[in-house]
Amino acid sequence: MSETGATTPAVDITVPTRPSMHLGSRFLKALCWAAGFVTIGVLLLIIAYILVNGLPEFFSRDEQGTLHFKASLFALKYNSRNLSMLPAILNTLTMTALSLLISVPLGVGGGIYLAEYAKPGSKLVKIIRVTAETLAGIPSIIYALFGMLVFVVTLKMGISMLSGALTLGTMTLPLILRQTEESLLSVPMSYREGSYGLGAGKLRTTVRIVLPVAMPGILAAVLLSIGRISGETAALIFTSGTGTGIAGINDSGRTLAVHLFKLQEEGRAVGASFAVAVVLLIIVVLMNALSSFIAKRLTKKG
Amino acid sequence: MKLRSFTALLLILTMALGLTALAADFDAKQVITVVSREEGSGTRGAFVELTGVLAKDDSGEEKDNTYSEAIISNGTNLVLTTVADNQAAIGYASLSSVLHNDTVKALKVEGIEASTENILNGTYKIARPFNVVTNGELTDELAKDFMAYVMSKEGQAIVTEDGLVSSANDQTPSYEAANKSGSLTVGGSTSVAPVMELLAEGYMELNPEAKIEVQSTGSSAGVTGALDGTYDIGMASRTLKDSETEKGALATVIGTDGIAIVTNLANPVEDITVEQVRQVFTGEVTTWEALNK
Amino acid sequence: MRGLFLASACVCIFAVGVICYFLFANGLPFFAKYSAWDFITGTEWAPLRGIYGILPMIVGSFLVTFGALLLGAPIGVLTAILMARFASSRVVRVMKPAVALLAGIPSVVYGFFGLKLLVPFTRNMLGGNGLSMFVASILLAIMILPTIIQTSEAAINAVPNSYYEGSLAMGATHESSVFRAIVPAAKSGIVSGIVLGIGRAIGETTAILMVAGNQARMPTGILAGVRTLTVNVLLEMGYAADVHRESLIATGVVLFIIVMAINFIFSFINRRRVVQ
Repeated sequence: MSETGATTPAVDITVPTRPSMHLGSRFLKALCWAAGFVTIGVLLLIIAYILVNGLPEFFSRDEQGTLHFKASLFALKYNSRNLSMLPAILNTLTMTALSLLISVPLGVGGGIYLAEYAKPGSKLVKIIRVTAETLAGIPSIIYALFGMLVFVVTLKMGISMLSGALTLGTMTLPLILRQTEESLLSVPMSYREGSYGLGAGKLRTTVRIVLPVAMPGILAAVLLSIGRISGETAALIFTSGTGTGIAGINDSGRTLAVHLFKLQEEGRAVGASFAVAVVLLIIVVLMNALSSFIAKRLTKKG
Repeated sequence: MKLRSFTALLLILTMALGLTALAADFDAKQVITVVSREEGSGTRGAFVELTGVLAKDDSGEEKDNTYSEAIISNGTNLVLTTVADNQAAIGYASLSSVLHNDTVKALKVEGIEASTENILNGTYKIARPFNVVTNGELTDELAKDFMAYVMSKEGQAIVTEDGLVSSANDQTPSYEAANKSGSLTVGGSTSVAPVMELLAEGYMELNPEAKIEVQSTGSSAGVTGALDGTYDIGMASRTLKDSETEKGALATVIGTDGIAIVTNLANPVEDITVEQVRQVFTGEVTTWEALNK
Repeated sequence: MRGLFLASACVCIFAVGVICYFLFANGLPFFAKYSAWDFITGTEWAPLRGIYGILPMIVGSFLVTFGALLLGAPIGVLTAILMARFASSRVVRVMKPAVALLAGIPSVVYGFFGLKLLVPFTRNMLGGNGLSMFVASILLAIMILPTIIQTSEAAINAVPNSYYEGSLAMGATHESSVFRAIVPAAKSGIVSGIVLGIGRAIGETTAILMVAGNQARMPTGILAGVRTLTVNVLLEMGYAADVHRESLIATGVVLFIIVMAINFIFSFINRRRVVQ
């Protein structure tokens, strides 16, 4: 080994030569397939169950027996008879936009600093990394407590979309920060050097040359954040509340996830909750499709 | 090929799962599944007091002796869903919600049916006030006007229609809309929330510029929220505690609601005594057949 | 501009600082009124009588997480190995979005699914009333599957192919090479995925709230209900005042410390392996 200069891997690997080892591995492989089936099976079960129970909720039959689409489920104004989910959908969009408005600029800016401007071994970088890791690991119920104590009560923002957005913004910040830094770091130095060689300054290089290449990774983190935001319940119930109308920044408003939670917990119609579950599923599918679409387009460009 | 056979297997599995949920005959030997509410629930607070589950222990302190194995469901409808899905379950919930729900049945208490008439004539004793809680006297114009609507003839008509007992009589004033505007946050009891939502809707129809939001978080949350300003108006489905009135909480009764003892539709039990209720909810009696002895 | 970027980065520090400050400023006074030892080892939780023992909830959280790992880790790692090394690219093209879909389903939908399907199934097939540690663990296992699969798959794919080829060259079969040469090399990535899964499991609230029964007492069995630390905070947060509220924040502090400890232990183990 020392003659060729190759290094030994710091890992203990056994090169299998005995037949018994092969048999064991064959068995494990079968287990792998079984595990794969279970995973896919569970997914299909969940989706099938929700669709089978939820899709009929979108339709009603009249006296002649013809099927009508329940447009009331998407009425602009919610009331306890139509149980419309449109305000909840709009609120989800508002909440997502507001939260991203907070976490994306801060996360991308911070990531740029860590990757491009900071000295690699500096103490500040270490502290920022540790705090980002910490933030990422905090359970959502603690964010709920934090959001309620800080934004709702102490800063007197009350139960509002703003309190909710600030809380969720803080929750998604570490994700975007870390991903931006990683994506930027994975851009080869040659890109930067080429740009410097042509006379461009650091800022222009970073923004015009490096950032676009790192975009797929950053967008992946943004989409992941959107997923977290649209799925969050506990943190939002205590910060943006359960208002049933279309909410402005200072109003209380429920997102789709909160709407589902409240419907099946306190509403008098469980059928409507299945309908909301269907919509949530559709949104997840769309987001995932969008994410892989963007990833493909951007890697093609680059 | 693999996918097809797998999908077939999955469909069979799902059908099997669905079938197991079908009801079998009611088995009296079953252990009673006791369903209770979280500690901050006004319904629970009222219930344990009225049935004797809340009792003084040896040191003279009041103790809630709810069965430690009781399932904690945080919300009226969660209680109803749990009881509706489980043959051996028993729970307690706001009567006005139960009247709108035909997936569970309300037991008679000592021969008296759970109905608004029986609450009014005093024979059905398990009842509690629906309170609106404020931090002292209301000062906000919109809040005062909304309260006037709630206590008016029109408001109380909504209250009665929803299944509550109203204290309105011929002297109750009619409401005159004054086109108020602004926004209010009303929060608290999950039992009061449904009727409050109806009241809010009615009010907003008469005052299109006003915006009233109802949050259902629990009675004690309603009182806390009213006191610390999170809610403009709080809702509680029980009487206020001394510690709460000392802090300045003021309660106004908007109606009286019964607490129904609910069981699964397949359960043959129709009638229960208050003492039996206490025994079940403290865990002294644990099977359905032991109840009848 | 550099200053702006620096400021953005520092927001993270600021945010963590504020969270820690509020947690500790509101939670520590609790320990002045109630001994930390009684808090963590007390088996009775009766806040309206001033008794705050969270041991039942600590045990509940640990048991439910352990159950989830027992089910989810093997299935997750094996599925990851399948996707990385055994399945054809056509199968992987179906599985990858499927796992991503599992990852994206909100907890409330999982909880709803668990309540409507798993709970009655457990009640009818296994006894008890269905709202149990068993269902909670299964649900959690499903929820952490995508995390474990995605991280493990990335780790396995990152192992240089030379390991595999070297093993083949020595005469081992395809399967043996995967399990004996590649997977051990991906160990640290796989373990990090599992640790992430633990973090998610301990922090889960909504789904568990809907299926676990939530009795505030020491867990009595797999088919009996259980209350976790997270659910305890959620159930009482809305109305808790004064000391009660502080006790919930103190519970949050305990959760925080547990998550930190797990992360710390993991990075410590990781560091040791690299040094070796």
